[in-house]
Amino acid sequence: MDPELKKPFAGLRVADFAWVGVGPTVSKYLADHGAEVIRIESATYPEALRRAPPFINDTPGIDNSGYFANFNSSKLGMSVDFKHARGPELVRRLVEKCDIVTESYTPGTMARFGFDYETLSAGREDLLMVSMPLYGQTGPWANYMGFGHVLQAAAGFNHLTGWPDGPPIGTGIAYTDFLVPHFAAIGMLAALDYRRRTGKGQYIDFGQYDAAVHALGTAVLDWTVNGHEQTRMGNHDFDACPHNAYRCKDGRYVVVSCQTEQHWERLKAALGRPEWCDMDRMRRKAARLNEEKEVDRHIQFWFEDYTYDPRVPTPPPPSDAPEGPPPRLFTTEEVVRLFQEFGVPSGIVQSPEAMHADPQLAHRGHYWTLNHPTMGARTYDGPAFRLSLTPGELTKAAPCLGEDNEYVYKELIGLSDDEFVELMADGAMD
Amino acid sequence: MPNESPTPLPHPTGPLAGYRVLDLADEKGQLCARLLAELGADVIKVEPRDGDATRSNGPFFRGEQGPESSLWWWTMNAGKRSVTAELRLEAGRDLVRQLVANADIVVETFAPGTSALVGLDYAALAKVNPGIVVVSITSFGQTGPYKDWVATDLVGSAMGGHMYLNGDAERGPVRTLAPQAYTQANIQGCVGALTALYARGVNDGRGQHVDVSMQEAVANAMDNAQQTWDIRRVNASGPGTGRNVGGMVGPRYLYETRDGWVTALAIGGLVGPKCGPVIDWLAESDEANGLDGEEWRARLATGLPLSPEQRTHVEGTLSAFCRTRAKEALVAEAQARGSGWAPVFSPREIVDSKQLAGREYWVRVKHEDIGESFIYPGAPFILSETPWAQRGRAPHVGEHNAQVYGDILGLSEAELRRLKMKMVV
Repeated sequence: MDPELKKPFAGLRVADFAWVGVGPTVSKYLADHGAEVIRIESATYPEALRRAPPFINDTPGIDNSGYFANFNSSKLGMSVDFKHARGPELVRRLVEKCDIVTESYTPGTMARFGFDYETLSAGREDLLMVSMPLYGQTGPWANYMGFGHVLQAAAGFNHLTGWPDGPPIGTGIAYTDFLVPHFAAIGMLAALDYRRRTGKGQYIDFGQYDAAVHALGTAVLDWTVNGHEQTRMGNHDFDACPHNAYRCKDGRYVVVSCQTEQHWERLKAALGRPEWCDMDRMRRKAARLNEEKEVDRHIQFWFEDYTYDPRVPTPPPPSDAPEGPPPRLFTTEEVVRLFQEFGVPSGIVQSPEAMHADPQLAHRGHYWTLNHPTMGARTYDGPAFRLSLTPGELTKAAPCLGEDNEYVYKELIGLSDDEFVELMADGAMD
Repeated sequence: MPNESPTPLPHPTGPLAGYRVLDLADEKGQLCARLLAELGADVIKVEPRDGDATRSNGPFFRGEQGPESSLWWWTMNAGKRSVTAELRLEAGRDLVRQLVANADIVVETFAPGTSALVGLDYAALAKVNPGIVVVSITSFGQTGPYKDWVATDLVGSAMGGHMYLNGDAERGPVRTLAPQAYTQANIQGCVGALTALYARGVNDGRGQHVDVSMQEAVANAMDNAQQTWDIRRVNASGPGTGRNVGGMVGPRYLYETRDGWVTALAIGGLVGPKCGPVIDWLAESDEANGLDGEEWRARLATGLPLSPEQRTHVEGTLSAFCRTRAKEALVAEAQARGSGWAPVFSPREIVDSKQLAGREYWVRVKHEDIGESFIYPGAPFILSETPWAQRGRAPHVGEHNAQVYGDILGLSEAELRRLKMKMVV
């Protein structure tokens, strides 16, 4: 990076009360791009992710969770007990030194300790605060509990994920936790840019549910405009055919997706123009969509005939095999390379293991390796975007609980050495 | 001004009011640009003369395909202005460069290298406007061994690892019908755009190039599977009706009700230190199936993993309980007892949801061209000083040619006519 240039958010300080997945992802953007982000936590009420696997050596421990670590790169850690007599006052003194406050507690929790926007912004107009609980600050569900795993159900992802003849299984993960933080970051950064130009902060009432609905593609308008309810269709699509995951001989899956007629023509060429492709009802997408099952059957047969598992010794050709050289067989990687050479949208359904070995992600430097005091060298996700002049930088591993207490309490809050020791002994930092 | 158009609605109080964005994007960048419009920016969608290719994405209004009836187009391009410019002609590209000179952000999705061939790459655009932020959203990014690979949403979900986590062992991986790889690329790209815009503000107006990878955006949506591989060397995979817990398939979280399905973690809250209220609930209706005994209560409260037999018993008890009841009533009662349940909602149920109605969420958008108005999703974030706003319907092909080329580039009607004759616009 050009030394003349400032990191995007250099000089900004963030009091990060947020927890679990959504909030920490939002402030991670700020931290990885230059802001000083301080995680405000408690040892008495530790953040849920610190207690969630995977743990180093499968040993639960407050500083052992990889789950927590990934979302908290480049941040500082301070601990405080809000219920200690001096806790709220110390927190408010810290916020005075901050530009942004982020939090994701159930509505009312922050106010109970005097950390609501009105109180925190008294006497200043530049404070930017983002609250991001599941359902926002208002409405009949405002106090409902849950995590991304159940919000994905209320927001339609279960209904839209699974096989048409099966239950609405949804994604296998707490999906909205990895979706809505980006929306929250968009709202926050727009407000931050406004603040840079005008000096004015504001309060953002972010409801995770509200944002998640924007990720439903055309499903909302298909209902409100056409009265048609989209529902899960396995790996099929109402607008593309073929469109599925096909099993290779080694047990892995390869997806093939023909959105346009051009994709379909290229696939036909890649498959060697088998006869079924040129049947009348296969020619145009609109007709082909009615033949999905047959298209899938043919392609799955092709994968069975033309892929092989290099770990398994090749059996001798059957006695009734046609004369001439045997057909060229492909490994899973080779199939995708073949299709891509023909310009067919296709790819391997990559496992986490494959992701870590993916040459493209390695080239992009997607995974950062950072050294953590108790967890050692671990991989962290980097941002999906690279800024050419001021790229994101994961400056340190996630903080241990209260790792930066001395700096935060003395330098920022302004305690003397004696006060610091006294408060620590008195449990204010628990 | 000629051809005064009812869209987009003005939005001078948005946080990005005063900025201008050029949208040269396909599915990977249109939502990104739309969100910028809803935050106040003037977003100009540049289309070929016969309309953008995504206008043929289904579904369609009343099922009738046409350039103005794509619900994809309606959803992703609402509130933008549209101009046509034939990028295959130098005169068309010149129009775009003139617009770039008057813009702050360009969102584009050309395959890597192709924009350079026609002089629309970052280097060329920065010469026209050193302050421009060019956001390039591509399947795999601008560099690397897969940069030229072609991908759709399905390929992004597969190569980004997310799809591996969905589905079950028997039928393999499965996607979400609404395109999540596209969505992730759009919204993470939008964060990149705003980060670069902010950087410009603190670095004397210098713009830069933002290189966004759909694959990486999806990789960021793998929950804890990345760390689970890194730390435990275990591949989390599709858990069916259960959920992934650090690489193991946890207990079932999806239960059938009289009228649909509900989701509930930890077997509805029956496992863990706070299981008491849920056990009481079952016991009150005489459906605890023995779980209200001292031994079971103590066992469940430990929160330790159950044996397969115990799990079958507990899951079966909850299944039977849910099957005779309505989902929203179940969720309300579970929440009242401190357990985080949620109903499985379809698009209709989301639109009818009491919560979103309580938030006054939905927006009615006028389509004066067909004499109707329709419900659209509302504010994804409520900003107290500089609100989000829906900016009206999506534009027709070239609806704002006269307005944009006249007001911004100062082209006269005669000049515009000449460009039309030359098939540039």
